[in-house]
Amino acid sequence: MSTEPNPDGLVLDVRNLKVSIDTPDGQVHPVRGIDLEVRRGEIVGIMGESGCGKSTTIKGILKLLGSNSHVTADKIELVGQADLATADNKTMRAIRGNHIGFVAQNPFGSLNPIYSIERQFYELQKAHKTGVKKAESREIALDMLRGVGIVAPERVLGGYAHQLSGGMAQRVVIALATTLNPGLLFADEPTTGLDATVQAQILDLITGLVKDENRSMVLVTHDLGVIAQYCQRAVVMLAGEVVESGDVMQVMVDPQHEYTKKLIGSVPKAGEKLSVAR
Amino acid sequence: MTLSTTPGVKAKTPTKASGPIRLVLARLGFLVAALFGLVTLSFLLVSVTPGDPAELIAGPMATSEQVDGIRAELGLDEPLGTRYVDYLKGLATGDLGESYYSKRPITEEIGDKLPATLELILLSVVFAAVVGVAVGAVGAYFRGRWPDKVSRLATGIFQAIPDFFLGLILIYFVFFILGIAPAPSGRVGIAESGPDKVTGFYLIDSLISGNMSLFASAASHLFLPVLTLGLVYAAYFAKTARSTIGKALNSQQAQFARAMGLPERTVVRYAFVESRTTIVTYAGVIFASLLGGEAIVERVFAWNGIGAWSLQGITKLDLPVVQGMVLIAGAITLIVYTVLDIVVGLLDPRIKHA
Amino acid sequence: MPEVFSTPRSQVFARLVKQHKAAALGVAFIVLLLLASLFAPLPHDPEATDGAASLQAPGGDHWFGTDGAGADVFSRVIDAARIDLSLALAGTVVSLVLGVILGLAASTKGKGSERLVRGLDAFQAFPLLILALALVTLSGHKLYMVVVAIALINIPRYMRLLRSEVLALRESRFIEAAIAMGAPQRRITFRHLLPNVWGVVLVQTSLTIANAIVVIASLSFLGVGVSAPTPSWGAMIRDGSGNMSSGEWWIATFPGLIVLLCVLAFNQLADAIGDTTARSHR
Repeated sequence: MSTEPNPDGLVLDVRNLKVSIDTPDGQVHPVRGIDLEVRRGEIVGIMGESGCGKSTTIKGILKLLGSNSHVTADKIELVGQADLATADNKTMRAIRGNHIGFVAQNPFGSLNPIYSIERQFYELQKAHKTGVKKAESREIALDMLRGVGIVAPERVLGGYAHQLSGGMAQRVVIALATTLNPGLLFADEPTTGLDATVQAQILDLITGLVKDENRSMVLVTHDLGVIAQYCQRAVVMLAGEVVESGDVMQVMVDPQHEYTKKLIGSVPKAGEKLSVAR
Repeated sequence: MTLSTTPGVKAKTPTKASGPIRLVLARLGFLVAALFGLVTLSFLLVSVTPGDPAELIAGPMATSEQVDGIRAELGLDEPLGTRYVDYLKGLATGDLGESYYSKRPITEEIGDKLPATLELILLSVVFAAVVGVAVGAVGAYFRGRWPDKVSRLATGIFQAIPDFFLGLILIYFVFFILGIAPAPSGRVGIAESGPDKVTGFYLIDSLISGNMSLFASAASHLFLPVLTLGLVYAAYFAKTARSTIGKALNSQQAQFARAMGLPERTVVRYAFVESRTTIVTYAGVIFASLLGGEAIVERVFAWNGIGAWSLQGITKLDLPVVQGMVLIAGAITLIVYTVLDIVVGLLDPRIKHA
Repeated sequence: MPEVFSTPRSQVFARLVKQHKAAALGVAFIVLLLLASLFAPLPHDPEATDGAASLQAPGGDHWFGTDGAGADVFSRVIDAARIDLSLALAGTVVSLVLGVILGLAASTKGKGSERLVRGLDAFQAFPLLILALALVTLSGHKLYMVVVAIALINIPRYMRLLRSEVLALRESRFIEAAIAMGAPQRRITFRHLLPNVWGVVLVQTSLTIANAIVVIASLSFLGVGVSAPTPSWGAMIRDGSGNMSSGEWWIATFPGLIVLLCVLAFNQLADAIGDTTARSHR
C-alpha cells in the first residue's frame, strides 16, 4: 500500500516507528512499528479511537515524550534535513518549530499563562535566531496574528492567554506554530474542546495555511468527517499499529480492513434512518 | 487565597474598576476583624484557665493575704468583663500592659526582642527558599532518577527531624567537634554586647556603627540557628518545589514550548515562572509559622527573641506577655498573608483582584 | 478499586509491601517499638538513677550510655515510647473523630461555612506551639491537656481537608446523579462522600500522628506535659541538650533519633497510603 518507490515530493518518511513507555506497572507499547509518509502539499489524517497511539506517534516523531519513554525507528527522515531517529537533542531543537510546527488541543494549555502573547512570540524567535530585536519580533507577531484572522492584533499581543476565547487562543497557537515558516505541520486534535462553530473556522484556517504556502500537514483526529473533508490521505490506527492507509476516498468508500469498516459504519450517514432503541 | 485558575473557554472580562484600593480596604477590614477575634480569644484563653499567676508570683511560702495583695495589684481581682474592657482600652491607645515580672511595658519588650527574631527567621526563610527550591527543582527535572532519589531522601529526613534536635546535633558537630561555629550564647558572645540600636538587626547595626568584629561575631552567631531552621524548612520548600515545578515541566505548556524548539533552559524558566506564585506563597506561610514556631530553637541557642520571651512568659504565667506575643505574632501573620495576596496578584496575570 | 479487592488479600499485602518498602519498614519499626515498650524486659530500671554511673558513653552494660543522673538511656528511650506514642495516638483519635464530623458539617457552600473557613485560617495565624504550651501550662500541667492541644492544632486541618474534598466531590457526576435520584442527605454522606474521602483522611491521620509526636516532644522538651521521673523523649533531649556542647552526645541524640524515626515512619506511611489510594482511584 504505502511502499511505492516514489520519493518525489516526499517530506517525511517514517519507517517502523516504535514507542514504549515505562510505567510503575511495567512497560507499555503505545506505538508498535508504524510507517508514515507525508508528501509536499499533502494533508495526511491519522485516525483511530482514543488510546490507539495516534497522538503518541507524532509526539514520538518530535521526541516530545517524557524521559520514561523510548522511541526507536528504522528511520524518521525529514527530507533535506536529518534523520530524526538518530538526531541529537540540538538537532531536534533546531527542527522543532523551525521545520515542523506543532498545534495541540486545548490552546489554553499550550500558551504560557504568565507571559504576554508578545513575549511568547519573542521567546520563540529568540530561540531560533540570534540578535532578534523586540520591535522586529513585534512586527512579525502582528503580521502572523493578522494572517490567522485576528482583527485587533495589537490588543491580543499585549494581553494574556486567559483573556482570549478558545478560538482566539487556538489562532494564536497556530500563528506561533507557523511563525518560523515550517514546511510541515503536526496538528493533534486541534479543535477538541472548542465550540462546534469555531471548530470549522480553525480547521479552514489551518488547512488554508497549508495549501497557500504549499506546506504539508499531519492531522490527528478521531473525527472521520474531518478526515474526509480536509485530508488527501488517511491512516487508520488500532492499538499502536496501522491497519490501513491510502487515498482518503478509497479508505472511506472501500475500506479493506474490518476495523475501518466498523469505524466508518458507526458514523450515521445522511438520510439514513436511525434505529431507535426504545 | 485561591491560586487555581480555570481555563475558561470564554474571554473573561476583567473585573470592573474595583481597583487595588478596594481590594486593600477589603483586606484591611478582614485584618482588623481577625485581629480583634485573635485578641479576644487569647484574652479568654489566658484568663479563664485554672492557673493563678498571683500564687506563682507570690511563691509557695506566701500567705493568702499576700497572694490577694498581688492579685489586686495586677488587677486580677476585677471581674472578667472589666478586665477585658480595660485591656481593649489599653490596646486602643497602644498600651499592651506591662510584664508581671520585669514591670516593663510589653510594647517596649517586644521592640527589644522582635528584631532578634525577625533577623533570625528572615535569613532562615531566604536560606530555606534558595536551598529548598534548588533541591526541589533538581528533583523535578530528574524525576525518578538518582538526583531525584537523593533529594527526596534528604527532604524526607529533614522534614521529619524536630528543629530543636537538629539544632543540638549541629551544636555538637559544628561547635564541639569542628569548632567552626561559636558556642550557643545568643546573638553575640557572652563577653560582648550588641551594637547601638538603630534597626535592631545586629548585622545592620554593627555595620552602621562600623564595628566589623562585632559584625563578624553577629554573623557567626547567626550561622547555626539559621542553618538549623533553614535546613528543616528547606525540606518543605523542596517538597513543594518538586511537585509544582514537576507539574509545570510536564504540563502541556512545557510540551508546546519544547515543540516550538525553545531551549531546555527556557522551558525550565517557564516552569519556574509558573511555580513562583506557589513558592512565594509558601515562603510567606513559612515565615508566619516561624514566628513563635521557632521558640524552642531560640531557647536552644539562647537567642533573646520573642519566641524565648514568650516561652518564659507562659511558664511564669506572665499573662500580658502571653497576650502580647499572641497579638504580635497574629498581627504579623495576618499582615504577611495580606501582603502575599497582593504580591501573588501582581506576579500572576490570571489573578485579578480575586 | 475493584481490581484491588479481586486479588487475594495476602497477595495485595505482599505487593503493597514491595511497592512501599520504606513505609513497611517504618510500620515494622513502630510496632516493634510499641511491643518492646509494653512487654520487653528492659536491661535497667528506666527511672532508677545512679550517681556513680553518670555520663557513661554507650557500650558495655549501657547500650546507649547513661545520662547525667546515671539512668540508662536505652531503657528510658524504650520506656518513653509507651507514654509518648499513646499520647500521640489519643490526640490523633480525638482530632480524627471531631475533625471529620466538624469537617463534614462545614462542607456546605453557604456563606456561613465560608466564614468558618476564614476563621480557621485566622486561627492558624496563632503561633500553634505557643498555644499548646499555654494550654497545658495554664491548666496546671494536666496531661490530658496535651491531647486537647494536639486536637486543637489538628482539627482545623481535618476540617479544611474534608471541606475541600467534599466540595469537589459534590461537583462530580455520581454525586449529582445520587442527588438527582433523590437520595437523602445522610445516605449521600455515608454511602457516597465518606468512602471517597477515606484515602485522604487516612493520609492526614498518619501525618497527624507524626505531628503529634513532635508536639509532645516539643512540650516535654520545654518541661511541660509528661513530668519527671516518667521518661519521655522530649525531656530526655532537654536533659542532654547542655551536654551537646561538652561532648556527651548520646543523652540527647538517641531519644532524638527515635523521634526522627517515628516521624519518618508515619510520613512514609502517609506517602504510601496517598500513593495507593490515588492509584486505585484511577
